[in-house]
Amino acid sequence: MKRLTALLLSCLLLAGCGGEALPAPAEEDRLVIYTSHPQSLYAPLVREFEERTGIWVQVETGGTAALLDRLEAERDAPACDLLFGGGADSLTARKELFAPYVSPLAGEVEPGYLCPDGSWTPFSILPVVLIYNPVLVRVNPPEGWESLLDPVWRGRIAFASPTVSGASYTALASMVQALPGEDVLEAFYRNLDGRALSDITRVVEAVADAVAEGSCPVGVTAESAALAAAEAGRDVALVYPREGAGAPPDGMAVIRGCAHEDNARRFIDFALGLDAQRYARRECQRRPVRQDLLAEGEEDLILLDYDVEQAAAGREALLARWRALEEAS
Amino acid sequence: MRGWVRRSFRNRLFVTMLASALLPLLLCGWLLLRLQIVRSEERLARDARTQLEALDGALDGLLAAGGRAAEELADSTVVRSALRRGGGDSRTLYQVLFRSTRPLTDYVRFDVYDREGVCRYTTAETLPGGTLDPDWGVLRAAGEEAGTALRAGAEGGLTAARAVRNYAGTALGYVTATVEQSGFDRLFAGLCPAASEVLLLDGRWRPVYYSRHARMEEAAAALRERLLAGESLSGGGYRFFVRTHDASGVALVVQQPRAFTGTVLGAIYLTGGLMGTLCVALSLLAAWTLSRYLSEPVQQLDQAMGEVERGRLDVRLETDRSDELGRLAERFNRMAEEYRLNLDRSVQRERELNDARIRMMQAQLDPHFLYNTLDTVKWLGVAHHAPQVAQLATDLAVILRTSISGPEIVPLERELELVERYVDIQSIRFEDRFVCETDVPDRFMSCLAPRLCLQPLVENAIVHGAADREEGYVKIRAEEEDGDLLLYVSDNGPGMPPEVLEAIAGREGRTGRLGLFNVDSILRLHYGAGYGLSAWNLPEEGCCVRLRLPLRREEKGNAEGTDC
Repeated sequence: MKRLTALLLSCLLLAGCGGEALPAPAEEDRLVIYTSHPQSLYAPLVREFEERTGIWVQVETGGTAALLDRLEAERDAPACDLLFGGGADSLTARKELFAPYVSPLAGEVEPGYLCPDGSWTPFSILPVVLIYNPVLVRVNPPEGWESLLDPVWRGRIAFASPTVSGASYTALASMVQALPGEDVLEAFYRNLDGRALSDITRVVEAVADAVAEGSCPVGVTAESAALAAAEAGRDVALVYPREGAGAPPDGMAVIRGCAHEDNARRFIDFALGLDAQRYARRECQRRPVRQDLLAEGEEDLILLDYDVEQAAAGREALLARWRALEEAS
Repeated sequence: MRGWVRRSFRNRLFVTMLASALLPLLLCGWLLLRLQIVRSEERLARDARTQLEALDGALDGLLAAGGRAAEELADSTVVRSALRRGGGDSRTLYQVLFRSTRPLTDYVRFDVYDREGVCRYTTAETLPGGTLDPDWGVLRAAGEEAGTALRAGAEGGLTAARAVRNYAGTALGYVTATVEQSGFDRLFAGLCPAASEVLLLDGRWRPVYYSRHARMEEAAAALRERLLAGESLSGGGYRFFVRTHDASGVALVVQQPRAFTGTVLGAIYLTGGLMGTLCVALSLLAAWTLSRYLSEPVQQLDQAMGEVERGRLDVRLETDRSDELGRLAERFNRMAEEYRLNLDRSVQRERELNDARIRMMQAQLDPHFLYNTLDTVKWLGVAHHAPQVAQLATDLAVILRTSISGPEIVPLERELELVERYVDIQSIRFEDRFVCETDVPDRFMSCLAPRLCLQPLVENAIVHGAADREEGYVKIRAEEEDGDLLLYVSDNGPGMPPEVLEAIAGREGRTGRLGLFNVDSILRLHYGAGYGLSAWNLPEEGCCVRLRLPLRREEKGNAEGTDC
């Protein structure tokens, strides 16, 4: 009789939605990360962090600019605790969104990459490199920024529009800094012959694809993308520019007013740790920012003295010049 | 709708019947359906828990055996010395490896890594390429912990690792036991019905195994998202049942398709809907007929009432029903008939009254001529010294005047005066063969009576009674009874014949004595049926006629009618 009553009652209450309701993990064991990194980078790091700390991490992905806009929109009630990824100049420009944090491991980091006020913490550096197709270019491969102005490559350079690609912007800034003369930008634009790529969805891979497929034998892209393509066995060879390349760090930052600030800080400590930095270099071709790891494999790379604050300040002016060129053509 | 229901009691009946027929039916159907669903879901949930128990047992057995084997290998001197020596060619180690793991190799792959993370020995057919980072993942965990570390692989699967240590406690290498997807497939084969799926998740709900390999990431991510959002796991046409394996923290999940999917439910609802529609149609028909049966007589009655109001009194309702509505119709018919008769009677009364008035008007014809004639007779009598003639003419003129003009109602005093003059005339005619005596007390003198109500009685008494005797005697007297004035006129004549008495008693005496009858009519018309005239024969001789009229006195100041 009791059973029957219970059955009828559950019937009336529309129960039987089924399955089991498990208690959700406690708030203090959670962390929400927004990232612009590719999954191949963030997924192993996040899993290792979860295993080591027992914290449940939720990840949302997107482009840096889109994520920053979202953080701005959520400013009063942040859903996110940590922004993982994004060029230093982008982060500096929106530093009011972040809660400064100086990791105890900051001493291990090359001082030049650190944000002076601790708004963000560098994770890796992303030098820009020249790539070419070694099958198509057997003699006289490009050697530096100057080569890109050579009429030999006119209309044969794969280059993403700096309005959508951070790497391209770094390349332009490096070029302008490294080469003499006022009209370097204009000369380079002429040499592109109107073939700048602006496919926003696959900016990172697009340049390496164009070079590997041979539609453009020469290209400019981020080192990590180039190495990934080379490792995948595609026809891509790397050249570190003779004049030196800009290598802005990408950072991570604790969101101001977030719900799980302690966990966000633990993640930063973890990502700056030796294990994670080593892992990122080995598995994801990311150049570490730690002094003890910098020396390894830096023989080819000549770094320009890349001033983040200045780059952030000069960014708009440079991009405006570029847009003017795009519109003029 | 509300207005429509209220407008007619037929609509009200209709809606009530429809609701009372339909609601219980629909409610009952719905309840049965819910009951069916709940019961079947309960049964499926029981099944799922049984499956979970079986899966948990299988996993527990495998993990325990694998852990024991890994422990045995890690503590083995052969493994230790082979790792210390380096190289990957120790045949004894392979012997030990296969001996320790033989019963498990269907499900588990055992590997031995050196301290750099390079795989040296394996139970698989070929050595896996690449290295594991001893500072990352499961090897790092094994190095840091004393026992066996357990981790999910990046692509699923579950790896247990145990460090092989020298006597100082430094790691020489690692023994790992890995269960791939195919291993779980074999382990769980037959433990789950075909419709259900099995999902394994690690402690942070990252995927370990899914019986539909290709969709593992997707399914695990969806479940994890729901767990973190604090929602119920079930959704998307599936129900999920979870059990956590205590030793490893691995969550076992059984994914069960819902018993009632959209199409099944759709079919059930369609059937229910069709049946509901049929019921609605039937109820409509029944309710319509019944409400019509009840409301039609009421409507007819309503219409008939309207006809009566418009004056058609011959309207009658046809009915062959014997219930309340039938009785109502009969009563209406009776009531209408009654009403019609009543009206006829009052018309008749009006007509009689008019007749009396017409007769009175005829009697007034050309009175001046008669007066003048009587006046002439009177003066002729005086001139010829015939005083009796003069007296006769004078009396007659007074009687004539009173009878055709003046007020209808007069004091008794005046009526008696008129009677006196009449008696004078008759005395002359009958040569004083009778005596008329009046015995009316003075207090009645001012009582009101219709004029000429007494004179016909006296005339009757004289002409048919007293005049036949040598010593005729007529007596007029008055008395009071129960607020009524009674006037008696009696004589000592031969009495009335019985048919005249009957006619007076039955009030039908048109054939009898017209004078008496007229008095009776006047009294009744004036005062109602309780008043009038009655007559009887006296025991010795003669008869008595009685007038009954209400005792009313002349009001002071009420002007008397004037002669014309």
